[in-house]
Amino acid sequence: MGQPNLLHYRPWRGEFQEPLLGVWPVARVGLRMMFRWWPFWVIYGLGMMIFLFFFFGQYFLAWADTQVTEANVQLGGFGRYDPHDLFRILRHALKLTGNGETYRNFFWYQSYIILVILALAGSMIVGNDIRHGSMAFYLSKPISRWHYLLGKCLAAGVFINMVTTLPALVLFVEFGFLDGWDYVRESAHLCFGILGYGLVLTVTFSLLIVAVASWMKTTVPIIMTWATVFLFPKLVASMLVDGLQFHPRLRLIDLWNDAYLVGNWLLDVPPDRIPPWPQPAWYEAGGVLVVLCAACLVALVLRIQAVEIVK
Amino acid sequence: MASAVTTSRSVQRPAALIELDRVSRFYGSNRALHEVSLTLQPGRIGLLGPNGAGKSTLLKILLGLLPPSSGSGRLLGYDLASAGGTLRRAIGYMPEAGALVPGLTGSEYVALAGELYGMPRKQALRRAHEVLSYLELEDARYRRLEEYSTGMKQRLKLGQALVHDPPVLLLDEPTSGLDPAGREAMLRLLLSLGRDHGKSVLLCTHLLGDVERVCDTVVILHHGQVLKQGGVAELRTTRQDRYRLQIQGDPHTFLHELRLEGVKVLQDNGHGGLRVAVPEGWTTRAFFTLADNSGVVLRGLQRDDEDLEELFHRVLAENGKDGAV
Repeated sequence: MGQPNLLHYRPWRGEFQEPLLGVWPVARVGLRMMFRWWPFWVIYGLGMMIFLFFFFGQYFLAWADTQVTEANVQLGGFGRYDPHDLFRILRHALKLTGNGETYRNFFWYQSYIILVILALAGSMIVGNDIRHGSMAFYLSKPISRWHYLLGKCLAAGVFINMVTTLPALVLFVEFGFLDGWDYVRESAHLCFGILGYGLVLTVTFSLLIVAVASWMKTTVPIIMTWATVFLFPKLVASMLVDGLQFHPRLRLIDLWNDAYLVGNWLLDVPPDRIPPWPQPAWYEAGGVLVVLCAACLVALVLRIQAVEIVK
Repeated sequence: MASAVTTSRSVQRPAALIELDRVSRFYGSNRALHEVSLTLQPGRIGLLGPNGAGKSTLLKILLGLLPPSSGSGRLLGYDLASAGGTLRRAIGYMPEAGALVPGLTGSEYVALAGELYGMPRKQALRRAHEVLSYLELEDARYRRLEEYSTGMKQRLKLGQALVHDPPVLLLDEPTSGLDPAGREAMLRLLLSLGRDHGKSVLLCTHLLGDVERVCDTVVILHHGQVLKQGGVAELRTTRQDRYRLQIQGDPHTFLHELRLEGVKVLQDNGHGGLRVAVPEGWTTRAFFTLADNSGVVLRGLQRDDEDLEELFHRVLAENGKDGAV
């Protein structure tokens, strides 16, 4: 280290902004960490393949429907069928009709991607800050502990919406282009349903991952906790309700299913079209998620208050 | 865009930098600080004390991260208990350990600090590059923090504390882990910031040499109480009877002659460096006469006033405390 050169030290003459605006830089750092981690792009690519299946599946069926000119076609040895009927059946079977079930299914598949990436990247968003003593850096600034937590949840939230809400809205627009203005007008409530479902996933999953990562810090314990929270209750609930025929309310222990039920309600999917049947009421599932979020907040407050800023 | 909150220039500079009035802090039944009352003027201040003295608790209180259990205090006129974020905006804090964000580059890290202090993004980035250049880290600014050496990390942490040009720098063991050259450079930098650029520096350390090199005021804490505070020069005892000598040649005859004259040799480093206590009525001319008689050359002669380490141990001893730092 040579002679430091402070001859040209200049004071800064600008104006400071509100501490609330410090939330976005905190979130941006979390996202930057994720984006610089190559496995993220592999798993994210997988998620985009699901999106492309929906996108091009719908596009292909709509395009193929317009290409058929014959009234009936011979389908092997099964007789002659109207190809328009065949495409309609296929669209219904694949749930590519642009109704609530289409978006519900899309969110369902994308949730797997979210769970995997958040489990792997949780330590990068929050755990590293506690492990490497970065909290002293953040909390010695004018931002409060709540701004810090909000920033971290925002990072997780941006990622969740990148995988779910934004692609779902693109699908909605695509259906609008393919089916015409009537679809947009008649299905406007689905647009709000998509936003609502995205919000439910954002709030629940971001709070949960930040809470888990702040306590577990490193990747392996985070994955183990994550699996325990999401996979184990799912198996137990399925065994109790589907296998042993206990009351369907026991499915409420399955947090993934709880978010799914609330999402179905937001997307206006009739209860009898929600597999696996029977299911508890959506508001009961919503109540469980509210309790979960409250528990995460309490855990976060305890964790953050316990951090030594000055050692 | 958000409304402007305050500017670095608009911070009102009161007469006192820090005013503490009977500040106490308890952790459960453990007393970390006991009725600490201090008034410190802007300048370069050393906060000295052994482990467990209450330095860290005092830092937390000064940062507005921990409210006092009793008593009140102000830093730059901001109330410590209630100012919170506003108070931290006026302070550049350099933590001792950790405090880095792995994965970021040097410039991203310093710019992030600027944004968290409330600087607009573009200005924070520009200022980050400026500060890193001042600290001679311009060549390393695009490298990730994991690749920085200990000395570079320390300078980087100073950079994030300086980015918003605060009037007060609160530094926790800034020379920790540095080699002698790095330590010297860091101390020179801190001295320059305090002396040439008008920053008030509160240096929290257990290295007495750092305080002696940089600070003009010292506060000695022990068991949560202030044992002594004041200017380093005022607190150090001026000793009329002590001298440091540097001689060239065979010292044996010279030492013998000194003892015959009633001079006590307190320390002999074996390389011609001596610390001596002289009897009453001694004149410095006598050293030259004795050196001449003994065939040695007297190359250095200066009065041996009390240094900070001696001051520290004396203060602890006067208060019946253990002097281990």
